[in-house]
Amino acid sequence: MKTIVGSFFFLFLLSGCAPQPLFYWGDYSETLYDYKKNPDDKTLDAHMKSLQDIFDKSAHMNKRVPPGAYAEYGYLLLKEGKDQDGLVYLDKEQSLYPESAVFIQRIKDEMQRGKK
Amino acid sequence: MKNILFLSISVVIAVFGGCNPQITKQEFAPKMYSEHPLSIVVLPPINNSTAADAKEYYTTTIAEPLTNCGYYVFPLEIVNDVLKQEGLFDTETMLNVPVQRFREFFGADAVLFVTIEKWNTTYLITSGSVTVTIRCVLKSTLTGEILWFYDDTVIVDTSGDSGGAGGWVGLIAKAVTTAIKTAATQYVPLARKANEKVLLAIPYGKYHGSYNTDGQMKIEKKTNPDKK
Repeated sequence: MKTIVGSFFFLFLLSGCAPQPLFYWGDYSETLYDYKKNPDDKTLDAHMKSLQDIFDKSAHMNKRVPPGAYAEYGYLLLKEGKDQDGLVYLDKEQSLYPESAVFIQRIKDEMQRGKK
Repeated sequence: MKNILFLSISVVIAVFGGCNPQITKQEFAPKMYSEHPLSIVVLPPINNSTAADAKEYYTTTIAEPLTNCGYYVFPLEIVNDVLKQEGLFDTETMLNVPVQRFREFFGADAVLFVTIEKWNTTYLITSGSVTVTIRCVLKSTLTGEILWFYDDTVIVDTSGDSGGAGGWVGLIAKAVTTAIKTAATQYVPLARKANEKVLLAIPYGKYHGSYNTDGQMKIEKKTNPDKK
C-alpha cells in the first residue's frame, strides 16, 4: 500500500511542478519586439530596462545571466556612443561565456572600423 | 499488487504516447551526442506563412527557450547586423552560403535554419485560434551535416477573455507586467510557446542539468522533408 501511495506521490511530483527554467529572461521578448516594430527612444529605453532587469533578477535568483544579454546591452551602449560602458559589457559576456570570443572580437573590430 | 501498478502505469504511458512512433533522442540525433555543439547561431527564418509579422515574432522569442535548453545562443539583433556586414540580406542567399562560413563569422558550432510554415489566425463569432507550424534544421559548422531537425504545430485558443487566470489568459497576464499594451503582447507568448514545443525534442546543451544524460528520453519520430 505504501508503495502505491509513494508511486502516486512520485507521479504527482513529476506532473505537478514544471522544472525551473535555467535562465531568467523577464520581458525580453516583448520589449525587443516593440523596439523592432517601432524603433524610437521610448521602446529602446524599455528594452534596455528589461535587460537591466535580467541582470538584477538573475543575481537575486543566483542564476547565470543568460547568453547574449550582456553582449546585447553592450552593443546598444556602443550604438549610443557610450563606448567605454559598452566595452565593459562586451567583456562581461566573454568572461561569462568564453565561446563568444570570436563574436565579441568581431563587434569590437567593427566598432574600431566605424571610427576611422 | 505491484503487477497491477505496473500494468496501470504502462496503460497510462500507452495512452499518452498515442499512435505516433516514438524514438529516443540518442537514436534520433546521434550526431548531437558525438559532436556536442555548444554555441548556436539562429538565422532569420524563412516565412512561408501568410502573416507578415511572423518573422519578428519568431526572432524575438527563440533565444529564451533555446538557451533554456542549455545552449549558447548569439543575440539575434547583433547577428542580423553581422550578416548584413557580410552582404547577406535575405535568408534565401544565406542558404547558399557554406555552413562552415558561419564558424568564421561568429565562432558558432552550429547553425539553426528555421522555416515558419504556418501562422494562421482564425476568427469566428464566438471564438478564435492561432495555428503555428515551425520547422527547424540544425547544421554543424564543422562538417556541414544535419545534426538535428524537427517540426511541430501549436494551436492556441485566443477566445478566452472571460476565463480564469490559467492557459492563454494567464500567458497574456504574465506578459503585460510591464504594461506595454500593443498587439505584440498578445502574440509574443504564443510564439514563445510554439518555440518551446519544437525544442522539447532537442538534446540538452552544456548548460543544462541533464546534458549528455537525456539520450534515452522518448520523443515523437519525425522525417525530414528536405532529405528525400
